[in-house]
Amino acid sequence: MAKNDPIPQPIKPSMSLAEKLTSLPKFYLYIILIFFSSAPLFINVTVPNKPLESSIDLYATLMSVKPGETVLVASDWTNSTRGESWGQFNSVMRILMRRGVNVVLYSTGDAQAPRVAQDSIAKLNKERLAKGEPEYKRWENFVSVGFFSSGEAATNGMATNVKATFAGRKDFAPGRGLTDVYESPILKGREKIENFPLLIVITGSKTSNITVERLSGKVPIAFTVTGVMGPETGNFYQSGQIVGFASGLKGLYDLEGLMENGVNVPGKDGQIVIKSEKYPKIDGFPGQPNAGQGSRYYPTLHFAVALLILAVIIGNVGMFLARKGAK
Amino acid sequence: MSYDAIKVTLGVLATVGLYSVLYKENRFYRFFEHLFLGLAAGWTLVVIWVENLKGPWWDLMVGVAPEKPTDPIGNGNWALILLLPLGLMGYMVFSKKHNWMSRIPIGIILGLWSGQQIQIWYNTYGKQIAGTAQPIWPTTWSSLTVPDYAKSGLTGDALANAKSQVYLSQAVSNFLFLITVVCVLSYFLFSFDAKTKLVRSASSMGRYLLMIGFGAIFGSTVLMRFTLLIDRMYFIWIEWLQQTILQR
Repeated sequence: MAKNDPIPQPIKPSMSLAEKLTSLPKFYLYIILIFFSSAPLFINVTVPNKPLESSIDLYATLMSVKPGETVLVASDWTNSTRGESWGQFNSVMRILMRRGVNVVLYSTGDAQAPRVAQDSIAKLNKERLAKGEPEYKRWENFVSVGFFSSGEAATNGMATNVKATFAGRKDFAPGRGLTDVYESPILKGREKIENFPLLIVITGSKTSNITVERLSGKVPIAFTVTGVMGPETGNFYQSGQIVGFASGLKGLYDLEGLMENGVNVPGKDGQIVIKSEKYPKIDGFPGQPNAGQGSRYYPTLHFAVALLILAVIIGNVGMFLARKGAK
Repeated sequence: MSYDAIKVTLGVLATVGLYSVLYKENRFYRFFEHLFLGLAAGWTLVVIWVENLKGPWWDLMVGVAPEKPTDPIGNGNWALILLLPLGLMGYMVFSKKHNWMSRIPIGIILGLWSGQQIQIWYNTYGKQIAGTAQPIWPTTWSSLTVPDYAKSGLTGDALANAKSQVYLSQAVSNFLFLITVVCVLSYFLFSFDAKTKLVRSASSMGRYLLMIGFGAIFGSTVLMRFTLLIDRMYFIWIEWLQQTILQR
């Protein structure tokens, strides 16, 4: 061989179609997934949707709380389930804020949860102030009781005496600093769980089970849960242990649609957008900022799931061809 | 750069760092993993002291000085100090010689927990068991499916009567529900050997029905995981790039 002759390279055996289909590079698959999970966020897509009965019940329950009443909100979510819980929390709080309902926030799920809830309320307040609406004030409209390290013990305590369970808990009162939460006007005369018209649990963990176990039958309970928890929460709903729930992104999309269109309310074309035989007319909040994470994420989820189905089909076709080739 | 912008940018770095493990194990990922764990542990420690121990236990025990001269003096309740040795006994689990002490607080917790279980079990499953009693025979054949009451023109007692009927579609649905419950329960009959063909068939059917249920739960789980990814993408592209950096 002459000195300048090229060094002979080993000939790579060409990959069959089956091998190509079953060995797509992981890196490129992730890039495609990121693209499909990002690009639709910039496009305004509306997905046709019929709200579930459980979501309509949740909305109707929230809309039935009288202005000036105080409800308990167990905010048991953090950034780990932000994809679903954040939007659910925002929707529930928007409804309660617009209706002038007061809120007592507490958490048994995670030490970070009260802070995350307060940050979300601060963002909603910015939105309200930008629209010229009054601020939803700490102490006057909501108090944060904080985190309870034992969910079972705290919920058990609430079943017998809410005031005793919240003893020693403090929140910021204007001009007074940290003050006993029971000095807040919104907790006046509400010592027992039966004094609250509603308990809403916004959760990404088992705190929903703990709540049903200990408070079912004492106070109307409603949930917003993550998609994973949807099937098991359905059992509580079917048996009447909870009055309504929204599950995952679908539940959130339902809720945002209900806020925009109401129930049995004719739209611009005179047609009722969301029908329900169970309820009379329940107004929505048309034109207000109702569309949130649900309206952004739900269409995007469809693109991502379409990619997943495509990947499953490609993988199976590849495997089928490989097996056929082996025979 | 404002404080908010720095905060969001650090969040983006942490997100990218944690997702980088999908490509391969690396130091960037390890750093943010440890940072996250450290922050979460530190935060929890402070919250437990401030919200669970200081107000409800420490302040009640030592008493609180009045903020204003007109405020009443908060007397201490030193009996609450008895909770301290009880709690500390839990840490004796690390001592070979004295680990028997840790069984005392554990025993108290187990006792409290066990005492609640009957009520908890009934609260959880009582209504669900009662809910399985569903009518499986239609009470009317006037319509095969539940009619649209709004269009029926019925009012008052006639409407209430129509709503109280069991229609064929409801009866079929209830029957499927009942079959599912019985078949799934028969799958868990371990106490005796199920030799009859009927029980074996029901048990086998129960297994398939459970698989359908697990499939639905798995599907929901996959959707949720996707949602978490979409939310992170929203955080990076919309909250950070669009709203914080480009300020649109």
